[in-house]
Amino acid sequence: MDQKDILFKQIFDTNSKKIFHLCYGYTGDADTANDLLQETFLKVWQNLDKFRQKSMISTWIYRIAVNTCLTYLRTEKRQAKDELTDSIIENRVEEFSEKNEQVALLYQSISKLEENDRLIITMVLDELPYNEIADISGISEGNLRVKIHRIKQKLTELYNQHARI
Amino acid sequence: MQEFKDIQSLWQSHSVEVKISSGEMLEQAKKEVNAIRTKSLFNIGGMVGSFAAISATLLYFDFNSWTTTLGIGIIILAVAIYTIILYREHLLISKNDFTENPGIFLGKLRQYQLSRYNLYNKLYWFYVIAISLGFILFFLETLQNLGSAMQLSIVMFTVLWMAFCATILRKAFIKREKERIDLLIEKFERIDAQFKGQ
Repeated sequence: MDQKDILFKQIFDTNSKKIFHLCYGYTGDADTANDLLQETFLKVWQNLDKFRQKSMISTWIYRIAVNTCLTYLRTEKRQAKDELTDSIIENRVEEFSEKNEQVALLYQSISKLEENDRLIITMVLDELPYNEIADISGISEGNLRVKIHRIKQKLTELYNQHARI
Repeated sequence: MQEFKDIQSLWQSHSVEVKISSGEMLEQAKKEVNAIRTKSLFNIGGMVGSFAAISATLLYFDFNSWTTTLGIGIIILAVAIYTIILYREHLLISKNDFTENPGIFLGKLRQYQLSRYNLYNKLYWFYVIAISLGFILFFLETLQNLGSAMQLSIVMFTVLWMAFCATILRKAFIKREKERIDLLIEKFERIDAQFKGQ
Protein backbone atom coordinates (compact mmCIF):
# COMPACT_ATOMS: atom_id res chain seq x y z
CA MET A 1 0.00 0.00 0.00
CA ASP A 2 1.58 3.32 -1.00
CA GLN A 3 1.60 6.58 0.93
CA LYS A 4 -1.42 7.99 -0.88
CA ASP A 5 -3.50 4.89 -0.16
CA ILE A 6 -2.62 5.01 3.54
CA LEU A 7 -3.44 8.71 3.75
CA PHE A 8 -6.70 8.20 1.90
CA LYS A 9 -7.68 5.36 4.23
CA GLN A 10 -7.03 7.57 7.26
CA ILE A 11 -9.03 10.42 5.76
CA PHE A 12 -11.89 8.11 4.83
CA ASP A 13 -12.02 6.48 8.26
CA THR A 14 -11.99 9.85 10.03
CA ASN A 15 -14.51 11.68 7.86
CA SER A 16 -16.78 9.19 6.13
CA LYS A 17 -19.32 8.94 8.94
CA LYS A 18 -19.84 12.71 9.14
CA ILE A 19 -20.04 13.04 5.38
CA PHE A 20 -22.50 10.18 5.16
CA HIS A 21 -24.64 11.87 7.81
CA LEU A 22 -24.53 15.10 5.82
CA CYS A 23 -25.60 13.33 2.63
CA TYR A 24 -28.25 11.38 4.53
CA GLY A 25 -29.59 14.59 6.04
CA TYR A 26 -29.71 16.14 2.61
CA THR A 27 -31.35 13.27 0.73
CA GLY A 28 -33.09 11.32 3.49
CA ASP A 29 -32.24 8.13 1.64
CA ALA A 30 -29.44 5.77 2.67
CA ASP A 31 -28.73 4.46 -0.84
CA THR A 32 -28.50 7.91 -2.41
CA ALA A 33 -26.42 9.10 0.53
CA ASN A 34 -24.10 6.17 -0.08
CA ASP A 35 -23.76 7.12 -3.77
CA LEU A 36 -23.00 10.71 -2.83
CA LEU A 37 -20.49 9.57 -0.22
CA GLN A 38 -18.71 7.49 -2.84
CA GLU A 39 -18.69 10.33 -5.33
CA THR A 40 -17.32 12.70 -2.69
CA PHE A 41 -14.46 10.43 -1.71
CA LEU A 42 -13.69 9.59 -5.30
CA LYS A 43 -13.08 13.31 -5.82
CA VAL A 44 -11.05 13.44 -2.62
CA TRP A 45 -8.88 10.62 -3.95
CA GLN A 46 -8.43 12.28 -7.31
CA ASN A 47 -7.57 15.68 -5.87
CA LEU A 48 -5.60 14.67 -2.84
CA ASP A 49 -2.33 15.75 -4.45
CA LYS A 50 -3.80 19.18 -5.17
CA PHE A 51 -4.89 19.81 -1.59
CA ARG A 52 -2.81 22.80 -0.44
CA GLN A 53 -3.50 22.73 3.31
CA LYS A 54 -4.95 26.26 3.13
CA SER A 55 -7.90 25.01 5.13
CA MET A 56 -8.48 21.98 7.29
CA ILE A 57 -8.84 18.78 5.32
CA SER A 58 -12.27 18.17 6.88
CA THR A 59 -13.41 21.61 5.62
CA TRP A 60 -12.15 20.76 2.16
CA ILE A 61 -14.00 17.42 2.19
CA TYR A 62 -17.18 19.03 3.48
CA ARG A 63 -17.00 21.57 0.66
CA ILE A 64 -16.68 18.77 -1.89
CA ALA A 65 -19.59 16.91 -0.27
CA VAL A 66 -21.82 20.00 -0.20
CA ASN A 67 -21.14 20.70 -3.88
CA THR A 68 -21.66 17.05 -4.72
CA CYS A 69 -25.06 17.05 -3.02
CA LEU A 70 -26.15 20.28 -4.72
CA THR A 71 -24.86 19.27 -8.17
CA TYR A 72 -26.39 15.82 -7.86
CA LEU A 73 -29.92 17.01 -7.28
CA ARG A 74 -29.69 19.80 -9.82
CA THR A 75 -28.28 17.55 -12.53
CA GLU A 76 -30.82 14.88 -11.89
CA LYS A 77 -33.59 17.49 -11.65
CA ARG A 78 -34.96 15.50 -8.76
CA GLN A 79 -37.83 16.58 -6.63
CA ALA A 80 -35.89 15.88 -3.50
CA LYS A 81 -38.54 16.96 -1.10
CA ASP A 82 -41.24 14.58 -2.33
CA GLU A 83 -38.92 11.64 -2.78
CA LEU A 84 -37.47 12.23 0.62
CA THR A 85 -40.71 12.05 2.48
CA ASP A 86 -41.71 8.79 0.82
CA SER A 87 -38.38 7.11 1.25
CA ILE A 88 -38.09 8.09 4.89
CA ILE A 89 -41.49 6.63 5.64
CA GLU A 90 -40.68 3.44 3.71
CA ASN A 91 -37.31 3.06 5.38
CA ARG A 92 -38.61 3.50 8.82
CA VAL A 93 -41.73 1.30 8.72
CA GLU A 94 -39.93 -1.90 9.58
CA GLU A 95 -38.01 -0.51 12.53
CA PHE A 96 -40.83 1.33 14.20
CA SER A 97 -40.08 2.70 17.62
CA GLU A 98 -40.64 6.02 19.31
CA LYS A 99 -37.08 7.13 18.72
CA ASN A 100 -37.06 6.05 15.10
CA GLU A 101 -40.29 7.88 14.61
CA GLN A 102 -38.71 11.04 16.00
CA VAL A 103 -35.68 10.61 13.74
CA ALA A 104 -37.98 10.13 10.75
CA LEU A 105 -39.81 13.31 11.72
CA LEU A 106 -36.52 15.16 11.92
CA TYR A 107 -35.44 14.06 8.44
CA GLN A 108 -38.89 14.91 7.15
CA SER A 109 -38.60 18.40 8.65
CA ILE A 110 -35.11 18.90 7.21
CA SER A 111 -36.45 17.89 3.79
CA LYS A 112 -38.89 20.81 3.90
CA LEU A 113 -36.05 23.32 4.06
CA GLU A 114 -34.37 24.92 1.05
CA GLU A 115 -31.45 22.97 -0.47
CA ASN A 116 -28.71 25.24 0.91
CA ASP A 117 -30.39 25.58 4.27
CA ARG A 118 -30.60 21.82 4.51
CA LEU A 119 -26.84 21.49 4.14
CA ILE A 120 -26.08 24.34 6.54
CA ILE A 121 -28.33 23.00 9.27
CA THR A 122 -26.85 19.53 8.88
CA MET A 123 -23.43 20.99 9.63
CA VAL A 124 -24.84 22.97 12.55
CA LEU A 125 -26.42 19.81 13.93
CA ASP A 126 -23.01 18.15 13.66
CA GLU A 127 -21.55 21.06 15.66
CA LEU A 128 -19.13 22.29 13.05
CA PRO A 129 -17.63 25.65 14.05
CA TYR A 130 -19.35 28.62 12.41
CA ASN A 131 -16.17 29.84 10.72
CA GLU A 132 -15.77 26.43 9.10
CA ILE A 133 -19.39 26.39 7.89
CA ALA A 134 -18.88 29.90 6.50
CA ASP A 135 -15.79 28.70 4.67
CA ILE A 136 -17.57 25.64 3.26
CA SER A 137 -20.74 27.44 2.20
CA GLY A 138 -19.02 30.59 0.96
CA ILE A 139 -21.14 32.91 3.12
CA SER A 140 -19.64 35.59 5.37
CA GLU A 141 -19.70 34.66 9.03
CA GLY A 142 -21.96 37.59 9.93
CA ASN A 143 -24.55 36.63 7.34
CA LEU A 144 -24.22 33.01 8.26
CA ARG A 145 -25.09 33.63 11.91
CA VAL A 146 -28.30 35.40 10.88
CA LYS A 147 -29.08 32.64 8.40
CA ILE A 148 -28.44 29.88 10.92
CA HIS A 149 -30.67 31.57 13.48
CA ARG A 150 -33.48 31.69 10.92
CA ILE A 151 -32.96 28.06 9.80
CA LYS A 152 -32.91 26.84 13.39
CA GLN A 153 -36.24 28.58 14.05
CA LYS A 154 -37.74 27.19 10.85
CA LEU A 155 -36.58 23.66 11.57
CA THR A 156 -37.84 23.73 15.15
CA GLU A 157 -41.18 25.04 13.92
CA LEU A 158 -41.44 22.37 11.21
CA TYR A 159 -40.46 19.61 13.61
CA ASN A 160 -43.06 20.65 16.17
CA GLN A 161 -45.68 21.01 13.47
CA HIS A 162 -45.02 17.46 12.23
CA ALA A 163 -44.91 16.13 15.78
CA ARG A 164 -48.40 17.42 16.44
CA ILE A 165 -49.91 15.70 13.40
CA MET B 1 -42.81 21.26 22.32
CA GLN B 2 -39.17 20.63 21.39
CA GLU B 3 -36.34 23.15 21.45
CA PHE B 4 -33.53 23.24 18.90
CA LYS B 5 -31.08 21.67 21.37
CA ASP B 6 -33.44 18.67 21.74
CA ILE B 7 -33.52 18.32 17.96
CA GLN B 8 -29.73 18.53 17.89
CA SER B 9 -29.31 15.81 20.50
CA LEU B 10 -31.79 13.65 18.58
CA TRP B 11 -29.71 14.15 15.42
CA GLN B 12 -26.51 13.27 17.22
CA SER B 13 -28.04 10.21 18.86
CA HIS B 14 -28.98 8.83 15.45
CA SER B 15 -25.94 6.81 14.52
CA VAL B 16 -25.36 6.14 10.87
CA GLU B 17 -23.35 3.30 9.47
CA VAL B 18 -21.09 3.67 6.49
CA LYS B 19 -21.35 0.37 4.71
CA ILE B 20 -18.38 0.80 2.45
CA SER B 21 -14.64 0.80 3.06
CA SER B 22 -12.13 3.01 1.26
CA GLY B 23 -10.84 0.06 -0.77
CA GLU B 24 -14.29 -1.15 -1.75
CA MET B 25 -15.28 2.35 -2.75
CA LEU B 26 -12.58 2.80 -5.34
CA GLU B 27 -13.03 -0.75 -6.54
CA GLN B 28 -16.74 -0.18 -7.10
CA ALA B 29 -16.17 3.03 -9.03
CA LYS B 30 -13.68 1.31 -11.27
CA LYS B 31 -15.93 -1.70 -11.84
CA GLU B 32 -18.33 0.10 -14.16
CA VAL B 33 -15.54 1.18 -16.47
CA ASN B 34 -13.97 -2.25 -16.33
CA ALA B 35 -17.28 -3.87 -17.36
CA ILE B 36 -17.24 -1.89 -20.62
CA ARG B 37 -13.57 -2.70 -21.17
CA THR B 38 -14.17 -6.41 -20.57
CA LYS B 39 -17.14 -6.44 -22.93
CA SER B 40 -15.10 -4.70 -25.58
CA LEU B 41 -12.31 -7.29 -25.11
CA PHE B 42 -14.80 -10.19 -25.43
CA ASN B 43 -16.08 -8.60 -28.60
CA ILE B 44 -12.56 -8.48 -30.03
CA GLY B 45 -11.89 -12.03 -28.80
CA GLY B 46 -14.99 -13.27 -30.63
CA MET B 47 -13.91 -11.57 -33.85
CA VAL B 48 -10.37 -12.97 -33.60
CA GLY B 49 -11.90 -16.43 -33.02
CA SER B 50 -14.06 -16.05 -36.14
CA PHE B 51 -11.05 -14.86 -38.13
CA ALA B 52 -9.05 -17.92 -37.06
CA ALA B 53 -11.92 -20.35 -37.74
CA ILE B 54 -12.65 -18.96 -41.23
CA SER B 55 -8.96 -18.84 -42.11
CA ALA B 56 -8.64 -22.47 -41.04
CA THR B 57 -11.18 -23.53 -43.68
CA LEU B 58 -8.75 -22.34 -46.37
CA LEU B 59 -5.96 -24.39 -44.82
CA TYR B 60 -7.83 -27.61 -44.05
CA PHE B 61 -10.29 -27.86 -46.96
CA ASP B 62 -9.44 -28.23 -50.57
CA PHE B 63 -11.80 -26.07 -52.59
CA ASN B 64 -11.94 -26.45 -56.35
CA SER B 65 -13.56 -23.19 -57.36
CA TRP B 66 -11.93 -19.78 -57.21
CA THR B 67 -15.29 -18.31 -56.16
CA THR B 68 -15.09 -20.17 -52.82
CA THR B 69 -11.57 -18.91 -52.13
CA LEU B 70 -12.58 -15.39 -53.09
CA GLY B 71 -15.73 -15.61 -50.93
CA ILE B 72 -13.77 -16.79 -47.88
CA GLY B 73 -11.11 -14.16 -48.61
CA ILE B 74 -13.71 -11.38 -48.61
CA ILE B 75 -15.22 -12.64 -45.34
CA ILE B 76 -11.76 -12.86 -43.73
CA LEU B 77 -10.90 -9.35 -44.88
CA ALA B 78 -14.18 -7.92 -43.58
CA VAL B 79 -13.73 -9.64 -40.22
CA ALA B 80 -10.10 -8.46 -39.99
CA ILE B 81 -10.99 -4.83 -40.75
CA TYR B 82 -13.86 -4.90 -38.29
CA THR B 83 -11.58 -6.42 -35.62
CA ILE B 84 -8.96 -3.70 -36.14
CA ILE B 85 -11.65 -1.01 -35.78
CA LEU B 86 -12.90 -2.67 -32.59
CA TYR B 87 -9.34 -2.82 -31.25
CA ARG B 88 -8.74 0.87 -31.97
CA GLU B 89 -11.93 1.71 -30.11
CA HIS B 90 -10.86 -0.45 -27.22
CA LEU B 91 -7.60 1.51 -26.98
CA LEU B 92 -9.61 4.71 -26.50
CA ILE B 93 -10.96 3.55 -23.17
CA SER B 94 -8.23 1.17 -22.04
CA LYS B 95 -5.32 3.61 -22.18
CA ASN B 96 -6.86 6.12 -19.82
CA ASP B 97 -7.31 5.80 -16.11
CA PHE B 98 -10.29 7.84 -14.94
CA THR B 99 -8.91 8.12 -11.41
CA GLU B 100 -5.89 9.98 -12.79
CA ASN B 101 -7.62 12.45 -15.06
CA PRO B 102 -11.42 12.30 -15.29
CA GLY B 103 -11.56 15.20 -17.78
CA ILE B 104 -9.44 13.41 -20.39
CA PHE B 105 -11.21 10.15 -19.69
CA LEU B 106 -14.60 11.79 -20.23
CA GLY B 107 -13.42 13.13 -23.60
CA LYS B 108 -12.24 9.66 -24.62
CA LEU B 109 -15.49 8.14 -23.48
CA ARG B 110 -17.46 10.54 -25.68
CA GLN B 111 -15.14 9.75 -28.59
CA TYR B 112 -15.70 6.03 -27.92
CA GLN B 113 -19.46 6.48 -27.92
CA LEU B 114 -19.39 8.34 -31.24
CA SER B 115 -17.08 5.76 -32.75
CA ARG B 116 -19.35 2.92 -31.57
CA TYR B 117 -22.33 4.71 -33.07
CA ASN B 118 -20.59 4.92 -36.46
CA LEU B 119 -19.48 1.33 -36.22
CA TYR B 120 -23.01 0.04 -35.70
CA ASN B 121 -24.54 2.32 -38.30
CA LYS B 122 -22.59 3.34 -41.43
CA LEU B 123 -19.72 0.87 -41.13
CA TYR B 124 -21.96 -2.01 -40.17
CA TRP B 125 -23.68 -1.94 -43.58
CA PHE B 126 -20.34 -2.19 -45.40
CA TYR B 127 -19.58 -5.16 -43.19
CA VAL B 128 -22.94 -6.81 -43.98
CA ILE B 129 -22.50 -6.23 -47.74
CA ALA B 130 -18.99 -7.71 -47.68
CA ILE B 131 -20.07 -10.74 -45.63
CA SER B 132 -23.10 -11.33 -47.87
CA LEU B 133 -20.99 -11.16 -51.01
CA GLY B 134 -18.50 -13.54 -49.42
CA PHE B 135 -21.23 -16.03 -48.55
CA ILE B 136 -22.79 -15.88 -52.03
CA LEU B 137 -19.43 -16.71 -53.62
CA PHE B 138 -18.78 -19.40 -50.99
CA PHE B 139 -22.16 -21.06 -51.55
CA LEU B 140 -21.70 -21.28 -55.35
CA GLU B 141 -19.39 -24.28 -54.92
CA THR B 142 -20.23 -25.67 -51.52
CA LEU B 143 -23.97 -26.00 -52.09
CA GLN B 144 -23.92 -27.33 -55.64
CA ASN B 145 -23.94 -31.03 -54.65
CA LEU B 146 -26.84 -30.66 -52.22
CA GLY B 147 -30.52 -31.12 -53.03
CA SER B 148 -32.65 -28.09 -53.87
CA ALA B 149 -34.54 -28.22 -50.57
CA MET B 150 -31.31 -28.28 -48.60
CA GLN B 151 -29.82 -25.49 -50.71
CA LEU B 152 -32.87 -23.35 -50.16
CA SER B 153 -32.93 -24.04 -46.41
CA ILE B 154 -29.25 -23.09 -45.96
CA VAL B 155 -29.60 -19.93 -48.03
CA MET B 156 -32.83 -18.98 -46.24
CA PHE B 157 -31.32 -19.61 -42.82
CA THR B 158 -28.26 -17.49 -43.69
CA VAL B 159 -30.37 -14.65 -45.06
CA LEU B 160 -32.75 -14.69 -42.08
CA TRP B 161 -29.90 -14.88 -39.57
CA MET B 162 -28.13 -11.91 -41.15
CA ALA B 163 -31.37 -9.95 -41.34
CA PHE B 164 -32.02 -10.69 -37.66
CA CYS B 165 -28.49 -9.54 -36.72
CA ALA B 166 -28.75 -6.39 -38.84
CA THR B 167 -32.14 -5.34 -37.50
CA ILE B 168 -33.43 -6.55 -34.12
CA LEU B 169 -30.12 -7.61 -32.57
CA ARG B 170 -28.20 -4.58 -33.81
CA LYS B 171 -30.85 -2.11 -32.63
CA ALA B 172 -31.12 -3.75 -29.20
CA PHE B 173 -27.34 -3.75 -28.89
CA ILE B 174 -27.02 -0.09 -29.90
CA LYS B 175 -29.76 0.90 -27.45
CA ARG B 176 -28.25 -1.01 -24.53
CA GLU B 177 -24.75 0.22 -25.20
CA LYS B 178 -25.90 3.82 -25.61
CA GLU B 179 -27.78 3.73 -22.28
CA ARG B 180 -24.77 2.26 -20.53
CA ILE B 181 -22.26 4.76 -21.90
CA ASP B 182 -24.71 7.65 -21.38
CA LEU B 183 -24.99 6.73 -17.73
CA LEU B 184 -21.24 6.56 -17.38
CA ILE B 185 -20.74 9.87 -19.20
CA GLU B 186 -23.37 11.51 -17.01
CA LYS B 187 -21.59 10.27 -13.91
CA PHE B 188 -18.20 11.52 -15.08
CA GLU B 189 -19.69 14.83 -16.20
CA ARG B 190 -20.93 15.32 -12.67
CA ILE B 191 -17.52 14.50 -11.30
CA ASP B 192 -15.77 16.72 -13.85
CA ALA B 193 -18.10 19.67 -13.19
CA GLN B 194 -17.41 19.25 -9.52
CA PHE B 195 -13.64 19.59 -10.05
CA LYS B 196 -14.15 22.78 -11.98
CA GLY B 197 -16.24 24.09 -9.11
CA GLN B 198 -13.46 23.53 -6.56
